[in-house]
Amino acid sequence: MRPSAAPSRLQTRLLAVAALLLTTLVAGCGMLPPDPKTEAAKAVWDLYLIVFIMGAIVFVGVEGFIVYAILRYRRRDDHLPDQLHGNNLVEMIWTAIPTVIVLVLFVLSSIALGAVEARSDNPSVTIEVDGFQWQWEFRYLDGDADPGNDVLVTGSPADPPVMALPINEPVRLVLRSRDVIHAFYVPNFLIKRDVMPISGEQPPNEMELNVTEVGTYGGQCAEFCGDLHARMTFSVEAMTRADYDAWLAAAPRGGSPPPPSVAPGATVLDLTADMIEFDTHQLTAPADEAFTMRFMNEEDVIHNVAIFRGEERIFTGDGVTGPDATIDYVIPPLPPGEYTFQCDYHPVPDMTGTLTVE
Amino acid sequence: MATTTLEPRAETYRSSWVIDWLTTVDHKKIGVLYIVNSFLFFFAAGILALVIRSELAVPGLQFLDERTYNQAFTMHGTIMIFLFIVPVLSGFANYVVPLQLGAPDMAFPRINALSFWLLPLGGLLIFSGYLFGGAAAEGWTGYAPLSGGTYAAGVGTDLWLIGLTLVGTASILGAVNIIATVFKMRAPGMTLMRMPIFCWTVLVTAVLILLATPVLTAGLIALFIDRNYGGSFFDPTTGGQPILWQHIFWFFGHPEVYIVILPAMGVVSEILPVFSRKPLFGYRAFVFATIAIGLLSFSVWAHHMFTTGVVFLPFFAFMTALIAVPTGVKMFNWMATLWRGSISLTTPMLFALGFVTMFLIGGITGVMLSAPAVDFHLQDTYFVVGHLHYVFFGGSVFGVFAATYFWFPKITGRRLNERLGKVHFWIHFIGFNLAFFPMHPLGITGMPRRVSDYSPDAGWTLWNMASTAGAFMIAISVLPFLINVIATFINGERVGDDPWEANTLEWATSSPPPPYNFDKLPPIRSERPVFDLRHKHDVEHLSAEERP
Repeated sequence: MRPSAAPSRLQTRLLAVAALLLTTLVAGCGMLPPDPKTEAAKAVWDLYLIVFIMGAIVFVGVEGFIVYAILRYRRRDDHLPDQLHGNNLVEMIWTAIPTVIVLVLFVLSSIALGAVEARSDNPSVTIEVDGFQWQWEFRYLDGDADPGNDVLVTGSPADPPVMALPINEPVRLVLRSRDVIHAFYVPNFLIKRDVMPISGEQPPNEMELNVTEVGTYGGQCAEFCGDLHARMTFSVEAMTRADYDAWLAAAPRGGSPPPPSVAPGATVLDLTADMIEFDTHQLTAPADEAFTMRFMNEEDVIHNVAIFRGEERIFTGDGVTGPDATIDYVIPPLPPGEYTFQCDYHPVPDMTGTLTVE
Repeated sequence: MATTTLEPRAETYRSSWVIDWLTTVDHKKIGVLYIVNSFLFFFAAGILALVIRSELAVPGLQFLDERTYNQAFTMHGTIMIFLFIVPVLSGFANYVVPLQLGAPDMAFPRINALSFWLLPLGGLLIFSGYLFGGAAAEGWTGYAPLSGGTYAAGVGTDLWLIGLTLVGTASILGAVNIIATVFKMRAPGMTLMRMPIFCWTVLVTAVLILLATPVLTAGLIALFIDRNYGGSFFDPTTGGQPILWQHIFWFFGHPEVYIVILPAMGVVSEILPVFSRKPLFGYRAFVFATIAIGLLSFSVWAHHMFTTGVVFLPFFAFMTALIAVPTGVKMFNWMATLWRGSISLTTPMLFALGFVTMFLIGGITGVMLSAPAVDFHLQDTYFVVGHLHYVFFGGSVFGVFAATYFWFPKITGRRLNERLGKVHFWIHFIGFNLAFFPMHPLGITGMPRRVSDYSPDAGWTLWNMASTAGAFMIAISVLPFLINVIATFINGERVGDDPWEANTLEWATSSPPPPYNFDKLPPIRSERPVFDLRHKHDVEHLSAEERP
């Protein structure tokens, strides 16, 4: 063997090991959760790190052993190796090893779970979170019985709703769905909770947040809920108490939709929405004069009507939530032609139609 | 007086090979039908995976609308699980178990044929939604009330329910057949504790199927009644319970994970000893670990439901973590089997080692998810998608390919080309990790699963592009495999009855085996009768109980 052969093989091996370590490092970097921004999230983050390190040690140990065994014990001749059938002592030892790991893990995970599930007696803010296909509504309870006084935050896929919160205070979220199962998830809070449709006397799911840092944190639905699941986004804006009070004072109060305003003598087109579907997909309106679209929403899911010429948005109606809610949209004069109308909250084929102006 | 002599196995009539295969009740032909049928569905569902990964490569909707995307991932999951992984392993069980037991056939050959033929029928019904206004689009888990008549009005979901009911029935019939075969058809000398480990894993799997699948089938029928006949099992607006569906589905769904992983563990536990030239270390411990996994699998279903807020977390968290113990025992036994062995890296061995190394990752991420506080963050994100693919694909599918390379010479008498096999393995192995590892960081940073689109500002684009590249690499790796199978079938190297110097009874008959399998059986005095036969003259290698 030439003297240079051995070091070069060594170099190759070192290079391979270095490449492997580098890959592991890069991959490892992606394996840490986002910065935790609530009290509970910090406990989850710490638990995750412990569990991840335990997993990494097991991984490196087992894979290292297998690679070593493959390299060391390659078949070199026809000699039959010792036919070792087993050993009760080692079986007992390696039953004990994972048992101990699992018990330690269970204790640690129970402690962290306690921190996550902790509830304060008196949350300073309580928000009712309503999930529905495919949006969110946040209702800030003010303590009195009249929902008309509550601050109500709504949004649309193009303009997702924003939940304002004071920092360093316990905030209670009460989660309800109006249709299918959704999940309220903010990655920076390291938690999600399912938003269930409730039947009968069941209590709704709740979660509590104590945000520690001012900032805007993106969130979205995490339980698959149908066509536009991916667009069911929102954000949480955590602010100081003073900013929060100012925001609350200026925020619009929820209640009934704006009163209808029908231009006398004008054409009225009827359109009804139910089960995420328009009752008609063909409407005809007169050219060059204003007309009214009387839009009735039969279900407790927000809908609206928007009108487009090609890609261009011409009219956007306010959203309205039923059941049995009616709103009159006054549409400005349109030149003759083909238009499309659809619900901004549910741009699916069932909630799209053609408006012929002639 | 005229006498008639009957030739042994005289054919009373001749029929074309097509009729022969369509009407066969021979467990070996049915096994091959299972395997071929499963691979066809594997390719179909694989194409859907490429569609999904193409759409997700970069932000924005490029190829599909949301509905089509949702149909694609629903069909991908349903077909992969119910029409590929479960039946392909049933196919190997069908072919191999009677041979390993020294039996002439399965206990109920006609039921065996019936349970196969329900599969393509069920699969086509599930797919046929595409012809009738759109396939089911609620995910393979079909959560209520999204899968109810209000939110999934199309007939595609009804076809999905009917198809799955047929596939479930096929599974149940197959399980009954396996259990009867194992308990009633073993050759003399083949005691339970001398059964090959693959037979043990298949037996435990069959018991799991028998206990779990009827629950799913009942749930499918209940949902069908809800949708079509005004039932209210799962509809909250009429007093039903959406959470009931999740309990039913996962009471089946978690044992299902072991239904697809246990037989693959069995395959690996046959292959590692053969190519290490040692017996499986701790055969008894391995049998008990398999039974323990089977038992525990019925007490962990609600770990899929930690975030629903309605399950008792400590119990399910503890039981889930506890499954790591028997699984860990298996891992140690596999390692000890390699230890001081004489290892040949043939293609089946490479895939078996691929199973051990990749399943380990799926096992570790599974233990991470068993901590409820961690699960609250990771549930329904891409981390779970990564985890389940390391179990199903890194585990079961590697096991399926190991089985294919290992038993192909038994089924055809010809060995698959080793060079092409290794090319297949390495492209497959690297592509697999490139496709599925990035899903972990994606999920940890918050990307939910089952989204058709994601924000370009989320920082997920690079990992998604890597994952898509990996998916196409897996697709490319199928080419050398297909070429290998076809070329070998036509003109492969004939390698005799026992090319691997294997241990178990299937290698004691000819390749391919004759109808009814054996002309004569070797004595069965251990779990390795063929090894004993080969080494009967150098007894110093045998333990006392193995010596003839």
